[in-house]
Parts: sequence; structure tokens; C-alpha cells
Amino acid sequence: MPSPIVDVDQLRKTYRSLSLSGRRTVEAVRGVSLQARAGEVFGLLGPNGAGKTTLIKMLLGVVKPSGGSASLFGQPIGSVAARTRVGYLPESLRVDRHHTARSALRYYGRMSRMNGSQIRARSEELLRLVGLLGRDRESVRRFSKGMYQRLGLAQALMHDPDLLVLDEPTDGLDPVGRNEVRKVIEQLRDAGKTIFLNSHILQEVEMVCTRVAILAEGQIRAIGPIGELAHGEDPRVVVEIPIAKTVDDRDSAPGSPASEPSWSEVFGAEKSDTIHSKRLGAAFQLTIPAADQNEINWIVDQLRQANHSISRLQVHRETLEETFIRLVGDSKGLVS
Amino acid sequence: MRPYLAVIADSFHSALASRILWIAFLAIWLFLAALAPIGYHEDYTTTFRWFDLDNGTQLKAMLARGLVDPKEADTALGRIARTFPAEIKRQLRQVAEGDDVRIDKSALADSLNEAMDDESWYDPDAWRSTVRLRELRELDELPEDQISTSQRRRRARLRIEAALPGVFAAQAARSITLSYAGFDFPAVFSIGKDQFVALVNQIVVPVLMNWLLGFALIFLGILVTASIVPEMLQPGSLHLLLSKPISRTLLLLSKFLGGCAFVFLCVCQLVIGLWLIAGFRLDIWNARILWCIPVAVFLFAVFFSVSMFAGLRWRSAILSIGITCMFGAFVMVIGFIGGYFDTLVRGPDRVSQLAFSDDQVVISTQGGGLKRYDPATNRWRELLETEGHRRDLIVPPIQIADGAIASARIRNGRFNLYGSGSLDLLVLDVANDWEPKPSLRLPIGTRRLFKIDDRLVALNNTGLMATPIKAARDAIDFASDSEDSDSEDSDSEDKESQDSDSSVDASTDADRASAGEEQPAGDAASSSIGVTAWISDLLRMQGGPTEDFQPILPKQVTLTEPVRVTTVPGRSSLVIYTRGRLAHISFGQAAAGDGDLDSATVVRSSFADGGRVVADVMLPGDDSRQAVLAASDQVVLVAREDQPVRWIELSGLETVAEAEPPESQQVLSMTALGSTGQFAMLTIDGRCHVGWCDGDTLKYQTLPWSDVAAIDFQEQTGQLVIAHHIDQVDFVTVDSGNSGGTVATKVVRTIRPTLTSWRSVDRYLITPLRMLTPQTGELSDTVSALVSGKSSFVLGQADADQQEVIRLKIARPVLSCSVFLVVMLTLSCMYFSSRDF
Repeated sequence: MPSPIVDVDQLRKTYRSLSLSGRRTVEAVRGVSLQARAGEVFGLLGPNGAGKTTLIKMLLGVVKPSGGSASLFGQPIGSVAARTRVGYLPESLRVDRHHTARSALRYYGRMSRMNGSQIRARSEELLRLVGLLGRDRESVRRFSKGMYQRLGLAQALMHDPDLLVLDEPTDGLDPVGRNEVRKVIEQLRDAGKTIFLNSHILQEVEMVCTRVAILAEGQIRAIGPIGELAHGEDPRVVVEIPIAKTVDDRDSAPGSPASEPSWSEVFGAEKSDTIHSKRLGAAFQLTIPAADQNEINWIVDQLRQANHSISRLQVHRETLEETFIRLVGDSKGLVS
Repeated sequence: MRPYLAVIADSFHSALASRILWIAFLAIWLFLAALAPIGYHEDYTTTFRWFDLDNGTQLKAMLARGLVDPKEADTALGRIARTFPAEIKRQLRQVAEGDDVRIDKSALADSLNEAMDDESWYDPDAWRSTVRLRELRELDELPEDQISTSQRRRRARLRIEAALPGVFAAQAARSITLSYAGFDFPAVFSIGKDQFVALVNQIVVPVLMNWLLGFALIFLGILVTASIVPEMLQPGSLHLLLSKPISRTLLLLSKFLGGCAFVFLCVCQLVIGLWLIAGFRLDIWNARILWCIPVAVFLFAVFFSVSMFAGLRWRSAILSIGITCMFGAFVMVIGFIGGYFDTLVRGPDRVSQLAFSDDQVVISTQGGGLKRYDPATNRWRELLETEGHRRDLIVPPIQIADGAIASARIRNGRFNLYGSGSLDLLVLDVANDWEPKPSLRLPIGTRRLFKIDDRLVALNNTGLMATPIKAARDAIDFASDSEDSDSEDSDSEDKESQDSDSSVDASTDADRASAGEEQPAGDAASSSIGVTAWISDLLRMQGGPTEDFQPILPKQVTLTEPVRVTTVPGRSSLVIYTRGRLAHISFGQAAAGDGDLDSATVVRSSFADGGRVVADVMLPGDDSRQAVLAASDQVVLVAREDQPVRWIELSGLETVAEAEPPESQQVLSMTALGSTGQFAMLTIDGRCHVGWCDGDTLKYQTLPWSDVAAIDFQEQTGQLVIAHHIDQVDFVTVDSGNSGGTVATKVVRTIRPTLTSWRSVDRYLITPLRMLTPQTGELSDTVSALVSGKSSFVLGQADADQQEVIRLKIARPVLSCSVFLVVMLTLSCMYFSSRDF
């Protein structure tokens, strides 16, 4: 197994400040551990204030950790060697107003120790990639937010880094702009770049990331491949059983009970504890965990044996959003 | 370095994109365009101005005498006096009658200027007996058809000056007139090109730099650059920069340098523009002006370091500007307080001259005080109180006998260089516990005293006059009695009237007057003219001899500014420098045994008559320059401003050797170290040097004293006395030469007086505060020194004895600003490196 590009071990960051109300301590990151490997698009998900940006700042050496350790390419975070191989797109890029796209790329290229010819060649390529080639000599004062973000992506790629750290790359963009940026990220992913993507837009993460970590209150709540996280819990079978309103109804529709049956009699005492039942109009809706198809068949068999009609049956798998809400809901007061 | 150069270059681009920069550029270009038409032309100095009339009292008296004295009817003086308008002539007659009449100097100058238009007053025979400068002689020889109008006016001015000797301040032969766009300014600068260049370099350029660069541009620069750091600290900008493989410290320093780029761009244009205008329009091609660029950027860097730290801490451009302005105000206040302490506390205590009697030390101070060192209290005891507001001048004290020192106080001397009004000799005698006692009335305008044998010699602008020392000491009792009965000023008036009353023998007074002016002493013809007593009063008013002080100069020696006199130790002679002329005058054996005779008779018969010119030589070079003299029994040393020091053999006044002054610094005073063949020299940079002649080479050795205020040689002990660091005094033996051709010094006595209360405040509070505060205001001194190439200069050329030396503070402001800058940058870098953003 290749060594990780990003290796974070029990990283912590505590901000301390003094104010009139006294000494204040905020634990922004509390013992985070994660790894991102070469070629991965690693997504960092979390609500606002979860510690995502602090974690990224620590990886880039902008903020010094309070504890734990981390490395990029095996080099301690914050070291010049580590930063040399990183391209970074900050959350809200700010380019001085006297720049054009081309002069900004030249400036940031020189900051990354590139020489003039390298900068010229790379600028052409990147301006084409991000779609700014026709407007590269225009003052950035006239740039839209989307153009700024594309310019930011271009500067992050300027020195052809091995690791790209993108902090909310589509934040504030309209759907067209998001799509454009997403396409660029997909191209980079396809080109084999390692990307560390920080976002709270689940759809975006779901579309481009291969692995995801969910961060809440400074702690990792879940980490793994996108497929595993998206279907983290067993599928559930949702069954609807019609209710007979009258005796005639019951006669005409055998299996339709007039009142809620005893589900322990149907499924046994142990299974009935996992069943969630509620009345939904003229039917009872049962949500029953089912690990596989055999269990689904057994549920159907049990219901039929108890002479219950089944008006609808649906197998439900958990989405990433549901997983996210489930994992971070407690911290944000959400209902899972 | 590439990333950091990129940051600096980006700051340049950022500055160029600033609208304020372009507004500043526009303002600079407009200023330079407005200045560009300035020009100048040099012409002969012709027009008299009121400030050319150095001694108004003497001029009044001379003109009055020329008008009313029948003897002057056909002399140059009489002819000039008659050209004045009727009103002024009426006033002059009132002066002649003893009335106190005030005549406006401007009116006198205007009348003289009008006289230049019509030279009908000129008669070659009348002017033949006047002392004509070489320039006048050359102009007189020019044929009338070859002389230009300005030369004619110049010649007329010189003829007037020759007719009224000792009245006018020495002025350069040529003057500068400034013009603007071809139109002459109404004011003519009565200075030559050299002085004009010095004025521009030492005053104009530093003042311009102080206000334009030190104030306007710095403030503008702070306004523009205060946002650099707060903008860098914006998250979208800072995090990206910090993610790059660069050092935080170097990033911040690059931003700092980039900020300085703004001021650099502005300063370059302004300074180069001024340099080109000075060069093309005023013919002053002084590349040293370009030093203003780094100094101004350095000055800005000091303020920008404060702005940067405030920006880092509070991330607000407005706060940065506010804090920087408060810092500037604080620095300015400290500078003002320091300046006041320099002027009011340190300056007045600074030793000006030294005198000794046995182990007693008496000093005169720049504040016009006369003090004696009291070993019991280890303090300088005031003999004459320092009265700073009156700006009195003290005639340098000299020892006149064992246990007796003589001096005088010229009231309001700073504005009364020639001492119009009465002036009493003050004698400090051990018998009177060194209490200054008024003695004889000194000739009007006395500014130096000398001792030759047992004569006390007074120098004023008309000549040298002597009296027996015994007479001066004997007169103390009478004067003291007089003082007891009245105030000092009224006492002077009493003595004046007494002098008038005592001029009973009118013919004798007139005869003396003639001896002092144009006639040889003892001219029998003059005594036959019957003149009234008031003529002798007029003579005294114009600095002529008094009853007690009689002229001693030979007929052929007339004093014309600049004048310097020194006595020759061990000989009855003195050396005089007068407007380029060096004369060795000996008084032979006249002094011996005449103390018991009538004083006036003695002086006339044995001293004045004995004065003979042993040697006489004209020194090459600009004769309007001030000179410094010192003489031993074999050698005269002459140091003239901007000229080599000349080692001249005394007997024949032949130059033996000459060399640049020590370390090319102007020499302020010199003294012979006895008969060792060595001289001590005080240079304008406050250093003391010993010079000697090795074959035909003049050699110097700099002594390890700094901030030297005065030097003197104590004959009795053979010690060099060095006053330094305001009022500390060291007595030093100087051992002449070892095999290496150097001298060894040994301090045998020191005076380290206890500080007065205000001096203590200065030393323990103000000075440390000034050291801790960057002295940005004093950087104008640094500019002045860099631009002029001189670390010190002299104010007040009128009288070389009373000149004020301005020592520019070069190292201190640079050092204090550098330390402050380093501290601020270090703090900023530490904060930026350690802080989470």
C-alpha cells in the first residue's frame, strides 16, 4: 500500500483569546486522524465551524497545531519542502486589483519559485484549461466571482503541484459556475492529481470525491469511501398494509386489519423491537431493517402468513445527506 | 530570492496603480515646473544695504566729524559726508553737538547709494591717503572708456568704503541676484557665489528636504502604504501567500521594502528634479544632493515600521495612520524638548574661552557668563550671571597679572557686535575674591584683550589701543565706589560724561584722534588745529582712543575686516592678520620700567612710537575669509577658511610649510604649546589636534578628546588645557615626539563639575529619552552634512571671535533611527511569524 500523501494523526488546535469577559478557549480541531493517498479526491465534509478550514490551514502551515502531528509527502506540515508540492485555492480568493489574470499567474508562479519561461508556458496551458484565455489581459477588477475562482484554480495549478487543496471551490458560484469548476476538478482527478477538497456542498462531494471524511465539532465522525458512507446503515424495507374500515371491507379485502396488529406475533418478539410502525392514512407503514434479500423475503412471508395484505413494499438505502445529517445532526440540533 | 523579488516588484506595481501616487507625481511635477524658471546672475557688489553698516555709531560719528571738522573739509571723509541730503546732514550736526540722534541705517545706506550715481565728490588727491584695497587700486587703474557701469558703481562703493574705514561689514566683491523667468528678484543677496552655494547646500536644500520630504511626502507615503499590511492580512490573500514555499519573515520584509518603493519613486523624482534645476539653472552641480533620496526613504522607513506593526496588530489602515501620526507627534515633541534643552541648558554652559591664574580657572561661556571653578563645591561659580535673554557677550578673559584676570561684558552683545555704548574693563582680582570690578573705560567696540609685557591691549574695529596694566588695576577702587552709588548702566553713563569732562586738553585729544585715524602719532601739525572738545567725543564714539587707552599701531597698519591678532609669547610683539595681510609688529623694549610714569605719556612715547612693522606679507587667496592665528616665539601658524594651514617663520613671515587642515576640517582656534614648536588646534568637528613641522612638512596628530569646546595653553605649567563636553576641563601635558614622530599626552588634572539641577534633568531624563526616541527631526542635520560635505559650519562671520559653531548631528539620528527601525521590524517579524492568521 502506497504511503499516504496527507497523513494526519491526532491533530489538535485550540484557540485561546483574552477578552473583557475573561479568557476564552475554543477547541477547533480535537484529535483528527486521516490519510489521503495518491490519486484520491479526498472530501472533507462538515457544517460551518466544524474545523475544516482550520484543519486545512494547519496542513498548509498557516496555523500551527496545538498537538498531534501531520505530514504532507512525508514532510512535516508547514515546512517549505511540503508547501512546495501543494497548490491551494483559498475559500475566497483575493487578487490585488492591479493584476490581470496573466500578471497574477506570473506573480504566483514566481512565488512558487518558477522561472520566466516556465511561467509563460504554464500560463497559456492553464488559462486555456480554466477558460480565461481570451480575458487574460483584462484587469481582475472586471472579473466575476466564477472567473476569480477559475483564476484561483489556475494559480493553484501553476507549479503543477502533486497535491491540490481546494477550500470551498464552488462557494458563491451560480450553477453554471459550479459546473465549470466541477468539470475542471474532474479533469484533474482524471489526470491523477491528489485533491483535498473541503466543501459543505454534499452533491459536489458525492460527484467528485473518492473518499470522504465527515467532520463535526472538530472531530471525525465518519471516514471512508463515498459508497460506504452513503450507505452506512443496513437497507430498510418499508411496507404499507391497508386498514379495513368496515367489516364489509375486511370481507372484500382479506388481510386488512381494522386495528394495529401485534407485530410480535407476526415477526417474533426480537424482530418486532426493530420495527418502526406508524399509521399513514388508511394504511400502517412499517419500516423494518433488512440486511439482505433473504430477510426481505422472510418479512414478506411472515406478513402473508399472518394474512396481511401488502399494498406497497419499498427497499430504502441511506443517502450521503442522510448519513451527514445523522452524523452531525446532534451537533447542529437536527433530527436524524 | 525570486519570490521575495516578486513581492517587492508587485509592491512597485501596486504603488504605480495607486491614484494617490499619480496625484503626488503631478504635485511634484508642478512644483518642479514652478521652480524651473529660477535663475541667477552674479554681478559686482555695489548697492549698500542697512545691514552692511556694521557699526552705526561709528558711522554717525565719522560722518559728523567729516561734516563739522574743518580739518576734514577736503579729505575723503569730508567729501562723502557732504553728499548726504540736507535732513541727514542736519541730524549729523546734532550728533556732532553731542545730541543723541537716531538715524535710520536704511536712510544712510540709501544716501550712500545715491552718492554712487554722481561721483562728483571724488578727488584722487583726497583718496590718496586712504587705505585702498587691491580691488580698488585695480579699478582705479582702468581707463574710463573701458570701465563698465557695474564696475564704475563698484569702484564708487569701494571709494566710499575707503573713506569710511571700519564701518562696513566685509562683503564679497560679487553678489548674487536671483531671477525668475528672466525677471530679477527685488532682493540682492550680498553674498558671493561660494557663499551662495554654501547657503543652498547647508540651508536651502535641508529645509526643502525637511518640509517636502520629511513632512509632506512622509505623510503622503503613510497615507498610501498604511493599507499594505492590512490588505495582505485579508484571508483570501494571506492564506494563499502563506501557503507558498516562502519564509514569513522575508515575506513581511519584502512587503516592507515594497512599501518603501512608493516613497522611493516620489523622492527620486523630486530630488533628481531639484538637482537638475540646481545644476542647469544655478550652476550648482552637487551630486551630494542625491543623498537626500536614501535619507528620505530611510526616514520614511522609520515611520512605516510603526505603521506596519500597527497594521499587523490591528489589521486596520485607519488605525495604522492614526498611530503613526501620534508617533510622529511624540517624536516631534521630544525633539522640541531636546532642542530647548540644547539651547537653554547645555548651550549657555558651554565653555567659550579659558583663562588661568595659578590654579584658578576662569571661563567665559556661550551664554554670556563668566565663571570661576570652585574646588570646594566642585561647581562653576558665576562671576557674571548668565543672562540668556540679553545675549550678552563676554570679551575673552585673560590673565593680566598674578592673581588678576581681565574681561568685559558687552551688553546685548549678540546684537551689538561692536559694542555701541559704554564698555568697562572688568578686573577679577584674588584680593577681591575674584569679584569682577569695573575698571577703566574700554574703547568703544572692544572685543579682544591682549597682554604685551605690562600693557593691556584692547582690540576694536578701528585698531589696537593700550594702557598700563597697573593703571587698569589702580582704577578698580574708583570704579567700585562709583558702582556702589549707582546701577551699572547709569554708572557707565556717569563715566562717559566724566570722560567728556576730562577732555580738557582739546588739542591733545585731537592729536590722539589723528594718531588713531590717519595721522602718525605725534604729528605736530595736527596739534595746531583748534578743535573743540566734542571732536574727541566723536572720535571716542567711533571707537577711537580714550584717555586711558592710546593707539599703538604704526601708521602703515590699518585694520580692515577680517581681523585677527595674536601676541607672541616671550616677545614684545604681536602678529596681525587684516584682510589678507599678515604683519609682525614689535614694540621693542618700550615696556621696561615705565610703570611709574604717567600712563598716557608712557604709551605714546615708549609703546606706540616703538611699534614697528618687523615683517609684512600679503597672503594669497580670498582675503575676505576669516583667519585663525597662533604664534610661538619662532613661528606663526595661519589657518584660513577653506585654505591650507600655513607654517610661517616669524621673523620674516616666510611660509615654510603648508598643508590641508587636520582631517580637512576648518580650524576654529589655535594655540602655541610654549616653545616646543608644536601647536594645538581646535577644529570645527570638536576635535583637538597637535601640529608640528617636520622639515617642510606640516604634520598633525589628533588627540583623543571629542566635543572639545575650547583650548588654551597655560604658560605657567606648560599644560594644554582642553575644555570639552560642555564644561569639563582637562589639563594635559604634551610630550613632544618620540622616534615615531608622534606626541604623547597625559592628563594631569581634570575638572568634572557637579551638574546643576537642569543639567541633571538633561543628562538623566532628556538625553536617555532622546536616545530611545528616533530623532527623525535631526535627520535634516544628516542631510545638511551629506549635501554640503561638512559636518559643521560657522554662523556669524562678522566677528571670528564670537562665531557660533553649528555641529551637525550626523551619527546620532542615524543611529537612533536605525536602532528603532531594527527593533520595530524585529517585533513585526516575530509577531507575524508566531501568530496564527
